[in-house]
Amino acid sequence: MFQRVGIAVAALVAIAVVFLVVRAVIDRVTGRDTSDRPPPWRDINVLHWAAQIVALALIVLLADWLWTNFRDRTDAIGLVLNFDFLSQPSGVSIADNALSPNAPIRDAIAQGVKNTFLIILLGIPLSVILGTIIGISRLSTNWLLRKLATVYVEFFRNIPVLLVIVFAWGAVFLRFPSSAGQTAERAWRPLNGWFIFSNGRFAFPSIVGLDKFSTYRVIIVVAIIVAIAVLIWRTSVFNNTGHPHHRVRYAFSSFLAISIISFFALGAPFEMSKPDVVERIWVGGFRMQMPYVAIMLALAIYTASHVSEIVRGSILSVHKGQVEAAQALALSGFQRYRYVVLPQAFRVAFPPLINQFLNYSKNTSLAVAIGFAEATSIVFNLFGQSQPAPQLLLILMLVYLAFSLLLSLFGNFVNGRLQIVGR
Amino acid sequence: MVTELGGLETVLLEEDKPPVVYLSPSDWMRQNLFNNWYNALITFLVGASFVAAVVLTLRWLLAADFQIVRTNLRVFMIGQFPRDELWRPWVSGFLLAGAGGLVSGAMWRNALEDAEEKGLPYPPHSWTDLLRRFWAIIVILLFFVSFARTLPPYIGLLLIFVTIYITREAGMRSKPALRIRVPFIGALLLLVSFIALAGTSGLGASSIGAALGWWTSFEIGRRTETPTLQHTVTRWISAVVVGVVAWIAVRAIGFEGFGWDDWGGIHLTLFVTVVGVSIGLPFGILLALGRQSKLRIIKSATVVFIEFVRGVPLITLLLFSTFLLPLFIPIDITIPGPLTRAMIVITAFSAAYIAEIVRGGLQAVPLGQTEAAQASGMSVGAIQRLIVLPQALRAVIPAMVGQFISLFKDTSLLSVIGLLEFLQVSAVANAQTEFLGQGLVSVTYPFVALGYWAFAYTMSKESRRIEAKLGVGVR
Repeated sequence: MFQRVGIAVAALVAIAVVFLVVRAVIDRVTGRDTSDRPPPWRDINVLHWAAQIVALALIVLLADWLWTNFRDRTDAIGLVLNFDFLSQPSGVSIADNALSPNAPIRDAIAQGVKNTFLIILLGIPLSVILGTIIGISRLSTNWLLRKLATVYVEFFRNIPVLLVIVFAWGAVFLRFPSSAGQTAERAWRPLNGWFIFSNGRFAFPSIVGLDKFSTYRVIIVVAIIVAIAVLIWRTSVFNNTGHPHHRVRYAFSSFLAISIISFFALGAPFEMSKPDVVERIWVGGFRMQMPYVAIMLALAIYTASHVSEIVRGSILSVHKGQVEAAQALALSGFQRYRYVVLPQAFRVAFPPLINQFLNYSKNTSLAVAIGFAEATSIVFNLFGQSQPAPQLLLILMLVYLAFSLLLSLFGNFVNGRLQIVGR
Repeated sequence: MVTELGGLETVLLEEDKPPVVYLSPSDWMRQNLFNNWYNALITFLVGASFVAAVVLTLRWLLAADFQIVRTNLRVFMIGQFPRDELWRPWVSGFLLAGAGGLVSGAMWRNALEDAEEKGLPYPPHSWTDLLRRFWAIIVILLFFVSFARTLPPYIGLLLIFVTIYITREAGMRSKPALRIRVPFIGALLLLVSFIALAGTSGLGASSIGAALGWWTSFEIGRRTETPTLQHTVTRWISAVVVGVVAWIAVRAIGFEGFGWDDWGGIHLTLFVTVVGVSIGLPFGILLALGRQSKLRIIKSATVVFIEFVRGVPLITLLLFSTFLLPLFIPIDITIPGPLTRAMIVITAFSAAYIAEIVRGGLQAVPLGQTEAAQASGMSVGAIQRLIVLPQALRAVIPAMVGQFISLFKDTSLLSVIGLLEFLQVSAVANAQTEFLGQGLVSVTYPFVALGYWAFAYTMSKESRRIEAKLGVGVR
């Protein structure tokens, strides 16, 4: 170590000497007048360069020191530093997943990343909706609603998110009847059994296609295209003539009309599938892992308290004159919010919202505490099987960095479209 | 800013204030609950679910068996701290209470005299006001103590309140000469309380040395009118001498401790938070300055560090501290314990977040300030230290408190790597044979939640108060 520092200092001194000599030679050769040049220890350019080089040397020394230690330690315990282990069987089995424990580690991690993505996909919209409702409630004229929304926000903002998650899992969702073994049939089935709650799974009705379902799917796609066309058409009518467009109403009803008429024309191409537990086996319906529901809801409830503060702040940031002008135009309370306040507030709210989305995506890693098989849990599990930690942790960190990067790219893109052009 | 320009302050006279309208209860309800049909509907629906929630909570509260909390109260507070050494947390608690009371009292008096000098109104001191500000923590502390099965905790808590009262009164009555030294006295009390807990570890001795050295430098600096080179040299040399002597003296006393590997409970949570923020702060400021630097290598190195740490979840960093950090320690050095490693990582984590906060403050300082300082011939270091940083840091105090709260909440993640912090105690208690498998998490989690909530809520209210006082964001 001391030897390396010595070499570095010697190298720095050598660089300094070479620099001064070369500069003197160049000055001599070009015959430049150097009388007004400050001495090197007061020359800002020289000082900047010197600082840069010293900083670089320090960073290199530090990295070298850490790398040496790392190699010594890994050699001592015989850790292999390559990525071949990714093809070994993972030994990880994930509930409700076809992935076998014999599948390579690579596939197990990919499945974990997919599950992380699923938590983000459903949870972020949920937290935004919940947060917006609560944020508006905090500004309501209704005293009770306002106070309760404040209590909600002050409570959830001031407790750790991990506590919300373990509470949701340990004290709420785990209390549902067990789905394992004999008791599976005893799970809670509200609404005449169309929904099933157990502590392992949550099931709700789904759609099952019958013989003409493929035709119907094509028709639905066509209906969506028609609806978009209607939307564009009504917008252009509004732009050209100024008549009320009612575009959402028109588009939605045309979609509904096509899908309902064709449903009967094709003679009911699909039916609802009712979930059920027969002989301990779950059949029909759409099933979700209960830990998934727990982590997703807990994160959404927690994040909503932060989102609601952003929403409230952004609504308050809309100039009072805007609301008064809307009142003067006799817009109703809903119209005032929908057409005047919220569009302007959203523009203010979006950048901090991206921050909350980033926090949300990072907080999904807390699923490790309740054992839902997302990326961190899988990697944690693999640590337990003494797979090499350095590589696994590197992969895990890169996964989260990629999520962060993608989310902020998406956010910046939307933000760019939202902001007023010009000025 | 407005408060500093005394002339611009608008003082509302009594007769200028809008009249206060007193409504009869029925009028109030008509205006605030039933002013139109949908508000009436909302009132009924929300009110009904609120009543249902209250009834459910009460039923839980009456039915819940708090035996698990009673048995484990000490573990919740201080973890596995050895039973014979319980005087340590108490002594450190009293020292902390004394330091807090003294510093806050002196600060109040300073603010009062500052306001009087400028001819501004300053609200008179009132203990009820303090009760209103800190009611959450006081109520929760009383609630926690109510689970104690012996007398000492009650007496201890009472004595701590008395200590705060006495030292705050003393701080408020102290003379100016004492008041300017109060930060040093407070810091020393804090460090002594740390030593009472952990013994004269290297960390405690070095920080006492540093604090005493700094104090010496401050005392000499106060006594010199125009610092000459000779003065500066004397100042530095005597500071270093005092620091080293203090360090040697404290080590020589050789007060035994346990280190902190057995610490736990809410005590560990608070300790990790305080250490994370207070050690993270100087590093965070350095990182922020580095990020603002014109020197490309320094800038890119700090950017990479900050963005990397902020881009990954804290859990992955804690996993790093458990599995990878030992691999980076020289092979001939014993690997430090899990808590030490976790604190290294948490400090780095909080430094990266503080750096971004400080950067916001640095950007808020107008460029004209730097240019004016440059024009008056100040050095680069002096400009940052005397002109830019004081303004930048003042503007970010509320955000810094916010970071403190968020780190306080984030320390709960230490449970994932198996450290016995406040939340983990709940899991440990539920694994004891007498409480196993009875679903008592529904008792312990709310208990833990109240503890977290009281501290975080009080701090966030304080941060809003500071924000209003500083006038940050008000133009």
